[in-house]
Amino acid sequence: MAQRELTNLVSHLKSASSTLSYEETTGLLSRAKLLLLQLNALTPATTTDPALLALARDVYEQGALASIRAKNPDAFTRYVSQLRPFYELAGQARQLSASGGERNKVTGLYLLLLLTQGLYGEFHSELEALATREGGNGGMADVEGDRYLGYPIRLERWLMEGSYDRVWKAMKKGEVPCEEFGVFSEILTSQIRSEIASSSERAYPSLPLSSTKSLLFLESEGAVVEFARSRGWTIKDGQIYFPSAQETGEEEAEKPMSQMVIENTLGYARQLETIV
Amino acid sequence: MPGKTPDKEPVENGGYRGGKDMTEKDLKSKAKKASKKEAEDEVKVVVPVLKASKQPSVPPPNDAEGDVAMDELDKTAEGEVKVDPVLQTVSDIRSNFALLDRAVALFDARFSLRALRSISSIRKRLTPDILAQAISETYSSSSASAHAAKQMLVAVGRPDVSLGRQTGPEMEIDSEPKAACKNGVKKETKEIIPEIDVFLGILTQVLLHDSKQIQQGLEFSQYLVERIRSLNRRTLDSLSAKVYFYYSLFAEQIAPLPPSPQSPIVSIRPTLLAALRTAVLRKDVDTQASVIVLLLRNYLLTSHISQADLLVSHTQFPENAANNQVARFLYYLGRTRAIQLRYTEAHEHLTAATRKAPSSACALGFSQTATKLLMVVELLMGDIPDRATFRQPNMETALRPYFLLVQAVRVGNLEDFEAIIAEHADTFRRDGTYTLILRLRQNVIRTGIRMMSLSYSRISLRDICIRLHLGSEESAEYIVAKAIRDGVIEATLDRERGFMKSKEVGDVYATREPGEAFHDRIRACLALHDESVKAMRFPMNQHRLELKSAQEAREREREMAKEIQEGDLDEDDLGGEFEGM
Repeated sequence: MAQRELTNLVSHLKSASSTLSYEETTGLLSRAKLLLLQLNALTPATTTDPALLALARDVYEQGALASIRAKNPDAFTRYVSQLRPFYELAGQARQLSASGGERNKVTGLYLLLLLTQGLYGEFHSELEALATREGGNGGMADVEGDRYLGYPIRLERWLMEGSYDRVWKAMKKGEVPCEEFGVFSEILTSQIRSEIASSSERAYPSLPLSSTKSLLFLESEGAVVEFARSRGWTIKDGQIYFPSAQETGEEEAEKPMSQMVIENTLGYARQLETIV
Repeated sequence: MPGKTPDKEPVENGGYRGGKDMTEKDLKSKAKKASKKEAEDEVKVVVPVLKASKQPSVPPPNDAEGDVAMDELDKTAEGEVKVDPVLQTVSDIRSNFALLDRAVALFDARFSLRALRSISSIRKRLTPDILAQAISETYSSSSASAHAAKQMLVAVGRPDVSLGRQTGPEMEIDSEPKAACKNGVKKETKEIIPEIDVFLGILTQVLLHDSKQIQQGLEFSQYLVERIRSLNRRTLDSLSAKVYFYYSLFAEQIAPLPPSPQSPIVSIRPTLLAALRTAVLRKDVDTQASVIVLLLRNYLLTSHISQADLLVSHTQFPENAANNQVARFLYYLGRTRAIQLRYTEAHEHLTAATRKAPSSACALGFSQTATKLLMVVELLMGDIPDRATFRQPNMETALRPYFLLVQAVRVGNLEDFEAIIAEHADTFRRDGTYTLILRLRQNVIRTGIRMMSLSYSRISLRDICIRLHLGSEESAEYIVAKAIRDGVIEATLDRERGFMKSKEVGDVYATREPGEAFHDRIRACLALHDESVKAMRFPMNQHRLELKSAQEAREREREMAKEIQEGDLDEDDLGGEFEGM
């Protein structure tokens, strides 16, 4: 009986996911979780009925997607870690993995989240797991070819290379696989903008205002001026000049160098004494 | 080689560090000694009929010759290895029991390690029949561990062999040795120590593994692990480390192979973790080291990187672990770090791992794997591996794809790079370096840019874009800007006219670079020295001997002084006489 109620709840969540507000969704989700608890399927076990497992997984997936829409990364991370054991069990019951599920979508979103938070280490750990997961049927090409998984992987590669224009394009032209991925676009934009700004500081002696606009993917020159001010750049006659910070830094580094040499030499002397 | 005591633990594929020949020689002489002892005993007990037998441990009739016979015995023992390998092996196995006995009596792990080391030489000759014979000779049907013995017999597929002196039908290959065996049994049936149990258990595991009876192997290992856990004996430590090793090896090779989450290796994790806990509590360094390594391997096989990382951060790898375990641990740690993009640490660990790897041919696989990973990490750090590494004769073929890869990265040719990845994708995937290699793409581009900034003082972005096969000029601009920021090249960009202008390259010797390199090397040397000092072995009570000898020396000195005194007198006398003359 509880199971039937749960099925209704899940299908309601699925069909109306875009219209419901976050508060309504969380309300429904907590009801679903209570039902899961009654059915003893809140945490998966090998003995749990596969159909029930699928239901439980659906509940968590909906929760994950809803929290992304509500821009709540903490809740999303929580859902992802709750989902993980379900996915690991999924391989065991073949019919479970076959019956849909949004594993790739959720994983892709998680990857994107890690990317925007700058957690590259975790990103690659996750990627490694993906590579072996798909290793059974087709290998890495599959992962990159996947609509949801390929997206963050490509983004990461471009970010690392520095092809920011491609990242920009990927976010713009309806290339985003689904609306949930779009949530991250804003964060990514500001991220690449600051990346570009910091590399421009070093790379160009000066920049004309007009081309800075296109360089930074900003809307107007007014926005450029505002941005320049926030980074502490000086604007003179339509040209942006960057403060040269490194010269003062090097002077300071010079002093501890002699100190370091003395320290090292003293260290060698002491060690030699113990050896001889 | 920097490391702990040179002769410590057998390596994965059955070799030793510290040179094979030496240990084998060692072993032979040991076997000889053991057989000599046995022979002597037998001479006392046994009736003359036996003396005619071909048993290598029985000397030729030697009432009269005495000492001479001993020398002859050596020859016969060596000569007859070929003639009767079965008996030789059985006696080899049994000769280790003496070592284990001593290990227990003297409470010195070195003896059990020595016994373990002999496994690899026995391994080549091991067959179910030999092992069954050894087992049946060791246990009498009434002994306390008869049950354990039965289990082993079942595991090797000879359940019908009875224990004790009634050797089974298979044993009748040679009828004479039976009598000799009886004597052996007589001597040893008194009490079978658990160490011997476990030692024979390890042999059984080895046998099952070599004959690919993986399923039986796992079942038997489970039984053996249970048994070890019920015994609480410090002298078992090094043996149990070995048992766990084979246990997890079996689990790895069972049907759903590792990457899939249903592989049996996932289910043995609790056992291993429990073993680790116990080992830490008992300060059982051998088991601790080997179980940590096994767990790391276990996690990495299923790509549970974060769990592996947590394990490393929550446990402390024993400092005085066997060198081979240290090498393995460093390798897995390096792998974890490489995946987490902590290349500097990864590089450090992997370099140490390759250096600590046994230099003999028996652990070639390990050095190859570690070297491969090390190279990829070096490339990721922007270094180019040494050319000499690829020329080592035993590595050349294995490293071939990596050689091509390094070439592509060095030149900065993106096209070649993609082609090599496509061509050798399977090799890289098998080595587990594929995802790491994919990350190299940016390095290739950077090297390309660097080459260009070195060769041209000014080059248009358009040309860069064409040469590096980048998508567009805009991309090229961003990429170059990023390279400048990351300090890959010293250059400036001119946006209006669209070119990159290189700065003059500074003198390296004006920077602190040489000083740092020097410091690094000195530090490595000093660490090496410290480690070798730590690795020296100081036998117990040695200082007392020294004291004694010092005392003797002092006495001798005193005597000498006395003599000199007397001699002095003599000399004086002599002198006097001479003077007188």
